[in-house]
Amino acid sequence: MAERPEDLNLPNAVITRIIKEALPDGVNISKEARSAISRAASVFVLYATSCANNFAMKGKRKTLNAGDVLSAMEEMEFQRFVAPLKESLEVYRREQKGKKEARKDKDKKADSEEQDKSREEDNDDDDERMEEEEQNDEEEVDN
Amino acid sequence: MAAAAAVPGPGPAEAAAPGEEAAGAGPQGPARLARLPLARVKALVKADPDVTLASQEAVFVLARATELFVETIAKDAYVYAQQGKRKTLQRKDLDNAIEAIDEFAFLE
Repeated sequence: MAERPEDLNLPNAVITRIIKEALPDGVNISKEARSAISRAASVFVLYATSCANNFAMKGKRKTLNAGDVLSAMEEMEFQRFVAPLKESLEVYRREQKGKKEARKDKDKKADSEEQDKSREEDNDDDDERMEEEEQNDEEEVDN
Repeated sequence: MAAAAAVPGPGPAEAAAPGEEAAGAGPQGPARLARLPLARVKALVKADPDVTLASQEAVFVLARATELFVETIAKDAYVYAQQGKRKTLQRKDLDNAIEAIDEFAFLE
């Protein structure tokens, strides 16, 4: 299951769509060119990650955060990406907040149903729910 | 959908998502949601041995940045296709753009 960085590519269909939307109508792209862009995109991620990680380490943090990625963009001379990225991030944060609150409402309902059970069971369920939330956070990323 | 099915690896939850966002729902322009599947971007991030952890937000911003990068490089390469009076972007247009533009030096 070990994947080498070279093996990790991004879905062709998505890459193609992004390219097509960036170019005027009627413009085509050869398979080789699309493939090369896809590989370049993977390299971009790897390079940006490495750059961002340097900023995290400078800040003595072990977790890469959004700010590190933005700093990496400036470092890589893609400053013009920073403003649109910040906008996207705002939308994303609002989205995530909405999802969390929806989940909490669901949990609250589950709670009131479980209050009928014994206390001990409740504590166990609390722990399970916390783990679940963490997992859900992981899964939410890929939504 | 097809793209998601092709991904070997993590779990059904991670594979399920991209189709929904790729369907074109959500705002267009800079504030749109990511089209690239965050799971794949995350896999690339994890490939770096120096990286311990990355927040969800970091992966998201990376995904969006990559999309902007793809748009940028496609447009820059297209200039060369136009010079060659072609309507099809070819590999050499990309090579030319990479050589000519400083920001793409990391690709050489």
